[in-house]
Amino acid sequence: TQRLETLSNLEPPRSHLLAASVVGFGGLLACYVACRRKTKAIPMGNGWWGRGQKPLAEEDERIHHFEVKTSDEEIQDLYKRIDQTRYTDPLEDARFHYGFNSTYLRKVVSYWRNEFDWKKQVKVLNKYPHFKTKIEGLDVHFIHVRPPNPPEGQRVRALMLVHGWPGSFFEFYKIIPLLTERKDGLVFEVICPSIPGYGYSEAPHKQGFSGIDAARIFLKLMERLGFSEFYLQGGDWGALVTTVMAQMKPECVRGLHLNFCMARRRGLSMMLSLMIGPYLPFLVGFTREDVKRLFPFMERNVYELLRETGYMHIQATKPDTAGCGVNSSPVGLASYLLEKFSTWTDFKNRDLEDGGLERKFTLDDLLTNVMIYWTTGTIVTSMRFYKENMNRNVQNRLDFMNEVYVPTGVAAFPNELMHCPRSWASLQYKNIRSYSYMARGGHFAAFEEPQLLADDIRQFVKQVEKP
Amino acid sequence: MITEVLLALVLGVVVYVLLLKGKQETLQTEDGWWGIGEPTQIPEDESIQPFRIETSSEEIQDLHRRIDQTRTFPSLEDSQFNYGFNSCYLQKVISYWRNEFDWKKQVEKLNRYPHYKTKIEGIDIHFVHVRPRGLPDGTATIPLLMVHGWPGSFYEFYGILPLLTEPSSPDDIVFEVVCPSLPGYGFSEAPYKKGFNSVCAARLFHKLMKRLGFNQFYAHGGDWGWLVTTNMAQLEPKTIKGLHLNFAPPSKPSLPMMLSIMLGSRFPKLFGFTEHDLKRLFPYMDKVLVESLKETGYMHIQATKPDTVGRALNDSPVGLAAYILEKFSTWTDPEFRNMEDGGLERKFSLEDLLTNVMIYWTTGSIISSMRFYKENFGKGLDEPHSKIPVYVPTALASFPNELMHSPKLWVKQKYHKLISFTPMARGGHFAAMEEPELLAKDIQNFIKILENRKMK
Repeated sequence: TQRLETLSNLEPPRSHLLAASVVGFGGLLACYVACRRKTKAIPMGNGWWGRGQKPLAEEDERIHHFEVKTSDEEIQDLYKRIDQTRYTDPLEDARFHYGFNSTYLRKVVSYWRNEFDWKKQVKVLNKYPHFKTKIEGLDVHFIHVRPPNPPEGQRVRALMLVHGWPGSFFEFYKIIPLLTERKDGLVFEVICPSIPGYGYSEAPHKQGFSGIDAARIFLKLMERLGFSEFYLQGGDWGALVTTVMAQMKPECVRGLHLNFCMARRRGLSMMLSLMIGPYLPFLVGFTREDVKRLFPFMERNVYELLRETGYMHIQATKPDTAGCGVNSSPVGLASYLLEKFSTWTDFKNRDLEDGGLERKFTLDDLLTNVMIYWTTGTIVTSMRFYKENMNRNVQNRLDFMNEVYVPTGVAAFPNELMHCPRSWASLQYKNIRSYSYMARGGHFAAFEEPQLLADDIRQFVKQVEKP
Repeated sequence: MITEVLLALVLGVVVYVLLLKGKQETLQTEDGWWGIGEPTQIPEDESIQPFRIETSSEEIQDLHRRIDQTRTFPSLEDSQFNYGFNSCYLQKVISYWRNEFDWKKQVEKLNRYPHYKTKIEGIDIHFVHVRPRGLPDGTATIPLLMVHGWPGSFYEFYGILPLLTEPSSPDDIVFEVVCPSLPGYGFSEAPYKKGFNSVCAARLFHKLMKRLGFNQFYAHGGDWGWLVTTNMAQLEPKTIKGLHLNFAPPSKPSLPMMLSIMLGSRFPKLFGFTEHDLKRLFPYMDKVLVESLKETGYMHIQATKPDTVGRALNDSPVGLAAYILEKFSTWTDPEFRNMEDGGLERKFSLEDLLTNVMIYWTTGSIISSMRFYKENFGKGLDEPHSKIPVYVPTALASFPNELMHSPKLWVKQKYHKLISFTPMARGGHFAAMEEPELLAKDIQNFIKILENRKMK
């Protein structure tokens, strides 16, 4: 009672202060509890994607060595088909505005037919060790690269890099040496899987295989490889898959690094930031660089996206039709895929007669990626991923509705398809430790600017591990 | 003071309305040139050359070789036609095409009607011209222009041509029919320059009809043919005696349209909605918006990257067939998506379907046909022709499974002289090929109404 009397006898300012701190403390407690509830991971679920019925026997969990092979028949067949191509001349002065320019296409194909050496490229592919293992009924392919000179006493961090469309694990071949070398006290061992349905990974035989299923399969892969803690990096579909992985098992994901960030629509706040942003950017959390990359909004975001998402529309609705022709025509396949490597690296490439393709990439690298799709015949199944991920109820999907609490790093490249300012990214990624405006580069960051991306990954990891 | 102002306002409105009613806008256009390089100085060769479709053993051997080389990929279990053309059924089509389809025989069938070519604005325009035969002297024939769409061709009209040029009933009108191929489609040369859109096609077809000696004629169209014939009516209303359509989507939103979307399901009578209208349009999100999104992927990619998407289709005949025949399945009845065989052979014969595909294949015109989408949508949906109404007498044969359903109210927003609106008993997008008798009957009825009016 004496205590209580003392409390009630406090002078007004002091009692106000006490009341305020109680309320404040109560509020913080409530927030903490609420946050704790949110940090719950999204359920992993389960699946089985093999042919027919799931067998009763336990799955074979062994990891087999795999080697990319080719044959004279394969190469002769390719040449035969290339020689049969029926070209259509482009309209006068069309450049790349109607799609891949046929005049430049002839040059690419001539190189492919006469100078490109697939046997040599297969050796390049095999310079890193490849493996396959069965998960959920599918053979999952991946490469696993350990640092060449394992440092004594130093921790090697595990890092999984996930590709997108129309890329493959091959996009990472330039960045892998930059990550497995010891630098600034950081060294990585890198795992690059192929998404089921892409390249050397078996394609699902059942409907419904989405990014959530790919994420779960890759988590199982990491578990099977013996990693309890690891970093993730992704762009394009890889960004979706790694994000879901971080939502499913946040305790395993030490850090999530993205070079592609699709802003999830959060309605009002985004609308407001779009209306106020050009005039009072700082009010809505936009930097000057954000404004430069986002506005004029209609032109840069709406019209540009409309112009460039025809492929997404048809692949998300009729993948089997869209892929049918390209699976029999290597030149058709090359033109379909390489158009993206031109336009998504820089929209201005559409104004060039040659699409600016060889400014940032070599034909050898580009065609090796195309050959991965060609020799495995996976273009149709790679397209199906769009349909499975974009069905009607996408807004109600678990990964959309839930946030990401794992430490996240974003590398925002200037020529990315659509710019995502930090303020929008933080609507979903609640723990952004690093957000970098990159100096140059477009959508295929690892392929185009491996040094810049590697440096950003390293500085992000340093941020995460800061004591 | 107030009364004066009010009076002035009322007078002003009356004058404005009268003027507006009196003013009938026509679409303006300028000549173009679509050949290679610069236009030649000498006056254009206006002669009309007879043309015969030909084939060769090499062509057929090449086709067979490519068919044999196809690398198909199995469809997902139990997916029917929901992911696009089903691989199991595709095998059946391939087998028929490779072993039973007789292109030489089909070419003879194509040549049964006389074909011609003539150069207009720098490119060769192909057309079929069917004059009725064995008519007693002095019988007047009625000229009719029929324009196809994508992925169709003049061949779509081969089933309906006899019903129009040699009708069995003596009461029926005997037509003289001209079926051109759109530039870039089939045997018509493709433009070499950018910018060839529906208005340009309309202008070219006007020149064609004049060159053939027709100063006034009727026009029929569906799919792109709808837009081209509509543009023709907007360019020269006095030349088009009547416009018959089996497809008429709205070209721009209007207030009555918006209101009917919002209130139509609750007050159908107010907007003149029939039960069929309600079934096709509501709930709007589902039946119209989502359905459109599901089916317009091809339109989106063709309107942006035609050269890319068409590239493989020009090398792989099976790829081309899958791409085109998917439309003949889904646009005939959307329920066909749930069938293992896509319901294709319920309404069409494989022979007819593949003949249409062969027209695209042998001419290598798939890319140029796709470019038409970019030329028409590239500048957005706000072109002058979408804002000008049509004052020519119009008829719409409204087929129940058409891609985009347009109730009478919406059609009247654009076509101010809608003489006839017929809900048809059955049929989808490819009306002439699927239901030639029904379509012919509707064309006959429409033209009879107009001709009787003229006689009075």
